Amino acid sequence: MNPAAVDLRVRLGRLELEHPLVDASGTFDLVETARRSRGDYVAAFPYAAYVPKTVTLDAREGGPPPRVTETPCGMINAIGLENPGVAAFLEGLSTIVGLRRPVIVSVGGNATQEYADVVRRVETALGEGARRFPDVAGYELNVSCPNVPGGLAIGVDPQLTAEVTRAARAATGRLLLVKLTPNVTDVRPVARAAVEAGADGLSLVNTFRAMVLDRSSLRPFLGNSTGGLSGPAIKPIALRMVAEVAEALPGVPLVGMGGIMTGVDALEFIACGATAVAVGMANFTGLEAPRRILDGLRAECAARGFARVTDARGVALARGA
Amino acid sequence: MTAAARSPHPRRARPERGEQWAETSRCRVVAARRFGAFTALELLAPEIAAVAWPGQFVMVKVPGSGFLLRRPFSVFTARGDRLGLLIEARGPGSERLADAQVGEALDLAGPLGAGFPLEGVRTALLVGGGIGCAPLQMLTDALAGRGVPVMAAFGFRDGRQARVAAAFDIERLWVATEDGSVGRPGMVSDLLAALDAPPSATVFCCGPAAMIAAVQRWAAGAGLRGYASLEAHMACGVGACHGCVVATKRGALRVCSEGPVFALDEVVIP
Ligand SMILES: Cc1cc2nc3c(=O)[nH]c(=O)nc-3n(C[C@H](O)[C@H](O)[C@H](O)COP(=O)(O)OP(=O)(O)OC[C@H]3O[C@@H](n4cnc5c(N)ncnc54)[C@H](O)[C@@H]3O)c2cc1C
Ligand SMILES: Cc1cc2nc3c(=O)[nH]c(=O)nc-3n(C[C@H](O)[C@H](O)[C@H](O)COP(=O)(O)O)c2cc1C
Ligand code: FES
Repeated sequence: MNPAAVDLRVRLGRLELEHPLVDASGTFDLVETARRSRGDYVAAFPYAAYVPKTVTLDAREGGPPPRVTETPCGMINAIGLENPGVAAFLEGLSTIVGLRRPVIVSVGGNATQEYADVVRRVETALGEGARRFPDVAGYELNVSCPNVPGGLAIGVDPQLTAEVTRAARAATGRLLLVKLTPNVTDVRPVARAAVEAGADGLSLVNTFRAMVLDRSSLRPFLGNSTGGLSGPAIKPIALRMVAEVAEALPGVPLVGMGGIMTGVDALEFIACGATAVAVGMANFTGLEAPRRILDGLRAECAARGFARVTDARGVALARGA
Repeated sequence: MTAAARSPHPRRARPERGEQWAETSRCRVVAARRFGAFTALELLAPEIAAVAWPGQFVMVKVPGSGFLLRRPFSVFTARGDRLGLLIEARGPGSERLADAQVGEALDLAGPLGAGFPLEGVRTALLVGGGIGCAPLQMLTDALAGRGVPVMAAFGFRDGRQARVAAAFDIERLWVATEDGSVGRPGMVSDLLAALDAPPSATVFCCGPAAMIAAVQRWAAGAGLRGYASLEAHMACGVGACHGCVVATKRGALRVCSEGPVFALDEVVIP
């Protein structure tokens, strides 16, 4: 089969995507990249949708350095949700108004109400002048933020997750995704709670809590002591979690992620039931990563005789998705 | 080569953030000279060499499996279509790059970062510690091209590390080693007072945190202004991840974007 003939289009809830690849929140900054590329990078943006870094109501300084390092087959980060706050975020967004792809705004917060507040601020800005911005098609609630500083993440608690989702749902009619944390014994109760509270779909997984030592001092390397593990090291666990949620909640669109570096990695998440897939750490290997993964996905579909990428969805599951 | 011939675009202004390139290019290694644990690589990299500014860096993909994040390396030299990197083997990735063979192609992204400001510099005092000396050769070339007199003081752990001084082409260069085997015994910061820098001198330093802190104290005492180039572990190298921040008096700033060069007096060493 000719790879060019593979139909890569997918529907993520009400959203039509040209292909299944989006960037994972926090790993790609289109505003920065556009400034550093020859040619019109915004118009040529390779992902099917742009998911910016998580934004909170007010600016956050983030955690103490050092914040990142490579680990075997992966990396660890403790950025601490550094972001300029929703007002500055919207200013940045207005500089990429030429983007021809939908934007899915990643929202964070400490208190459950903060998520809805951020959504409302974005909605208000769009209401006052949507033409100043690219097409904001929806939101992804990053419930991996701690409920209170230092406390457990909202996303480990089905109740809190439902509260956050319900409040955000009331604030927007756009696509609403909830991004699940993998730091739970069973991800399905949280997934179910989010969907019952009004989420249109789920993204998973965020990073795994982990730790790295400075080998000479034997002290924690990261300024924050612990951080989040991502990259190929987490892929098998992420696949298992995506498959579990796909089987437990058939029909709910999923954005799968965790260690996707190649086309076949992306296809594996789709086989586990994901509708779309997000690329995180691979963005740090070079600007060509999304194109390379997309070409790989097309070739891997063709090699297996999938005329449509959707034909591959759920083939790894016990009873399809 | 005359100083003017090898000076990078002497009339250009320091590049702003918009001139940091995220795009990658494959560059062939055309020469590799070893100096103990250091290797000076010369790469055919016309696009990067043409726009590189002293103090900028490139993100290098380490060939082979097992390396995911790119490694940051300062521009050591940019002469014509050649880009020089000076690599100290400090871990698996830098070891592999220090071992690069002539003919091999490396994947580079850059040049990145905000380099050393050169405007208004009348006399320059360059201070390097260990591999921190790397960005100071291109800086010397650029200053020479502008007719600015340069004095340099390099500090090394021991005689073996000090062998890298032979990779540099700096007329007035003083060396200190902690074990006293080469040059003046002691730390490079001890050397500074002896150099008798004029009050108009600008200090440019790069090296371990403790050295930068010592130079900062000394420069403040001597009333000299200057710049420091800092290191940080990086993921993206292009301002996207906020993984590389360091503490400054202006708050936490990204080494890859607002830096790696900062005003000496704004750097906060923990
Ligand atoms: C702006 C800048 C310029 C640099 N210029 C040079 C140069 O000209 N010559 C040179 O030899 N070295 C330079 N370094 C340091 C060089 O990047 C590290 O030695 C190298 O990344 C180590 O990789 P590794 O795989 O050998 O070590 P490992 O310790 O195995 O690396 C593991 C991870 O930590 C990171 N890391 C480890 N040590 C450092 C460090 N000191 N700084 C930043 N990241 C680190 C690696 O990039 C990698 O992601 C520079 C660093 C920065 C930030
Ligand atoms: C440096 C870094 C920053 C991240 N920041 C965010 C963030 O702001 N919001 C979020 O929801 N996830 C964030 N993530 C998690 C990723 O979006 C993704 O869920 C995770 O990295 C797994 O994908 P990967 O293995 O492909 O990287 C971050 C990950 C990294 C490595
Ligand atoms: S390394 Fe990503 S912002 Fe500097």
